[in-house]
Amino acid sequence: MSSLLLNPHKALFTASSSFPLRSDVNAQILVASRRAATRIVDCRPRASRDSFEAEALPETNAKKKNANRKIILFGSSPPPLSEDRSGAAGNGRGKPGSEASSWGFFQKALKRALAVLSNLPLAIAEMFTIAALMALGTVIDQGEAPDYYFQKYPEENPMFGFFTWRWVLNLGFDHMFTSPVFLGLLILLACSLMACTYTTQIPLVKVARRWSFKHSAEAIRRQDFADSLPKASVKDLGIILMGAGYEGMAGRFAPIGVHISMLLIMVGGTLSAAGSFHGSVTVPQGLNFVVGDTMNPNGFLSFPTQSFDTEVHVNRFYMDYYDSGEVSQFYSDLSLFSLDGKELMRKTIRVNDPLRFRGITIYQTDWGFSALQITKNGEGPFNLAMAPLQMNGEKKLFGTFLPTGDADSPNVKGISMLARDLQSIVLYDQEGKFAGVRRPSSKLPIDIDGTRIVIEDAIGSTGLDLKTDPGVPIVYAGFGALMLTTCISYFSHSQIWALQDGTTVVIGGKTNRAKLEFRDEVNGLLDEVPELVSIDQNLNG
Amino acid sequence: MIFTILEHILTHISFSIISIVIMIYLMTFFVHESVGLPDSSEKGMIATFLSITGLLVSRWISSGHFPLSNLYESLIFLSCSLSIIHTIYKMGNHKNYLNTITASSTIFTQGFATSGLLTEMHQSVILVPALQSQWLMMHVSMMLLSYAALLCGSLFSVALLVITFRKNINIFCNGKVKNFLIKKFIFGKINYWNEKRSAYKNTSFLSFRNYYKYQLTQRLDYLSYRVISLGFTFLTIGILCGAVWANEAWGSYWSWDPKETWAFITWIIFAIYLHTRTSTNQSLQSTNSALVASMGFLIIWICYFGINLLGIGLHSYGSFTLTSKILNN
Repeated sequence: MSSLLLNPHKALFTASSSFPLRSDVNAQILVASRRAATRIVDCRPRASRDSFEAEALPETNAKKKNANRKIILFGSSPPPLSEDRSGAAGNGRGKPGSEASSWGFFQKALKRALAVLSNLPLAIAEMFTIAALMALGTVIDQGEAPDYYFQKYPEENPMFGFFTWRWVLNLGFDHMFTSPVFLGLLILLACSLMACTYTTQIPLVKVARRWSFKHSAEAIRRQDFADSLPKASVKDLGIILMGAGYEGMAGRFAPIGVHISMLLIMVGGTLSAAGSFHGSVTVPQGLNFVVGDTMNPNGFLSFPTQSFDTEVHVNRFYMDYYDSGEVSQFYSDLSLFSLDGKELMRKTIRVNDPLRFRGITIYQTDWGFSALQITKNGEGPFNLAMAPLQMNGEKKLFGTFLPTGDADSPNVKGISMLARDLQSIVLYDQEGKFAGVRRPSSKLPIDIDGTRIVIEDAIGSTGLDLKTDPGVPIVYAGFGALMLTTCISYFSHSQIWALQDGTTVVIGGKTNRAKLEFRDEVNGLLDEVPELVSIDQNLNG
Repeated sequence: MIFTILEHILTHISFSIISIVIMIYLMTFFVHESVGLPDSSEKGMIATFLSITGLLVSRWISSGHFPLSNLYESLIFLSCSLSIIHTIYKMGNHKNYLNTITASSTIFTQGFATSGLLTEMHQSVILVPALQSQWLMMHVSMMLLSYAALLCGSLFSVALLVITFRKNINIFCNGKVKNFLIKKFIFGKINYWNEKRSAYKNTSFLSFRNYYKYQLTQRLDYLSYRVISLGFTFLTIGILCGAVWANEAWGSYWSWDPKETWAFITWIIFAIYLHTRTSTNQSLQSTNSALVASMGFLIIWICYFGINLLGIGLHSYGSFTLTSKILNN
């Protein structure tokens, strides 16, 4: 029976040994098959190809299994070709109907919701809206007091004719990125992602069922580009395609991977927003603090951990300078002690190189000038606290004042000292005239108005940021997955489906590329597939 | 010292060569019969690429850090990436009628960088502590490569839209395309939209001119898709590297900084582009996606330049004040 079925194929295709390119070939095949149908009674005509395939399948299926082929074919009639037929819907029908109606109702509602959410135009609209809201969030100043918005977007003269402060404050645009509108849209996008992944892409993973998508040769021929290779085998084709860079299943998996990694990032981000601690502290050199005292919770999932009972000593804070005098780097030498005095860790941190300890990370973010240590006329040393002075621009300026007269009188005169960094101190006399510059390391004295001043030391203070963030590992995993899957999906953007149909391999291709180049390239590949001369052993075995 | 002189020379060489190349391309537009010139323009582009790369390398050596710390250097890098794309495209044996877009983009960025508007930034500067990190190389170079690729791709889409929607099309040939499209052709009272639809469906019934227009738009569509997907990959990697770097430096991988937000907006727009390409409605597919890509073109410029004009946020290294220079003059 099998030989009878498959003989017509053999007879047909010995005639055409070349690999033609266009649809006239299909016409040729069709014509030939009609001739064959009249010769052999058992074959059905081409028109009802589906059922023909159904007949042929059990035998070929068995052979496929023996030959360990990749493609598994079904004995039942093929499902319709629409790709967005949800696996969930297909499975749902199989469920027994004897359940309670409420569960059934819930099921139906869920299916409806899934169908609505996995709609692509909806997802695109969501993405557009999120992008527009983000753009709005950069244009509108965030986090200001309501007064600011009253002035900037007044009701008397609304921007664009309608945009007043009511829009801003009621919709939460002043804290756009945590506002309910924005977060709601993000949640909606996440739901769409999950629905889309579940309904259209995960079914592809179920190889056994989903390969039957295109198992009908007719279906494959209806692809954008289709061709048949008489006397060939899928294995050879697969090898050649692999060699040419067609990734096969990776092309299907990569978009799923992208969506899953985005969901992972979203989950991690939510965890970060809800469960992290953050603290900022400025500590003069030589002092210490306990971690737990500085930390503030960020959300409702924040739970302090055992490591909050650690004490941090700032052993030393110093800066490196370029030759031009600009700051090149900040360094803090930190030691971590447990509450009973045992040293747990010691590290010198700098910007871009934080300290990590049991889930807590300490970053070097800022610096300050704590005090200036001087001796006056040989007496001392005195610590004069340095105060930050407001100035336009980014450069910091610190100053202090050493009174030379009666410190309690209202018009007290004294020596002023200013510094931009820990390296050089500028001194001014009682009238405010420039007196000189001294470096703490030089220990050179300076005489101002009869007072001899020696700058002993400049004591800096380090600005540290402390954080715990439980979401970071998840987010990093999501980042890595996203990078990887984006790269993979860039490289595999065409799909080729091949079916072993007797002695013939039917190939269909779908691509995002231009048809011409894809056609040429695949034809070039197909030319390389070896033609098998003696197939009989495979088929009769 | 020698490196500064070298840098100076290379800047001038690159600018002059690429101006000459653009002149050649413009001439081949208006004068169809130019045989020897396209070859020399190719060599000119390669020379430009080499001189821009040499410029960057000499800056790297003279300043001791990777040359990407302010706007001027990033513009030079951008024009370098554009010329890289041009060269790769050349080597790929594709028909090269789209090199006008890449070449002219290169000259515009190079010209703007070396123009008098930004002279205060030409000196190499020292790196502030926050920029002293290995991540600098990875993040910024990825972002600039992605900007270059996405700019090219969106320009191709703009070209596609222009070609699709113009009634009286005068398509100028460029060198080897001459055998594809001939002179100008004028459509009569036919409705172009219907014509395009029918054109896409029945290839064999197309008239001569429609067929070539169809070929050209298909080509542009394909190229734009390829280049934008490449740029999208780079953009993803660049944004994620930036997030990891921010976590290392400041403890927060995303802080809704204006530049970060606009980079994310760019990412979303191009993700929309890639998703619109999966729609099955063939006749609308290419135009819809081309519209999205053209929007992306504007958004990239806002992201790259517009935010720097504001000069706020964590990315203030790239800021510059254009108006003060003009006012002082």
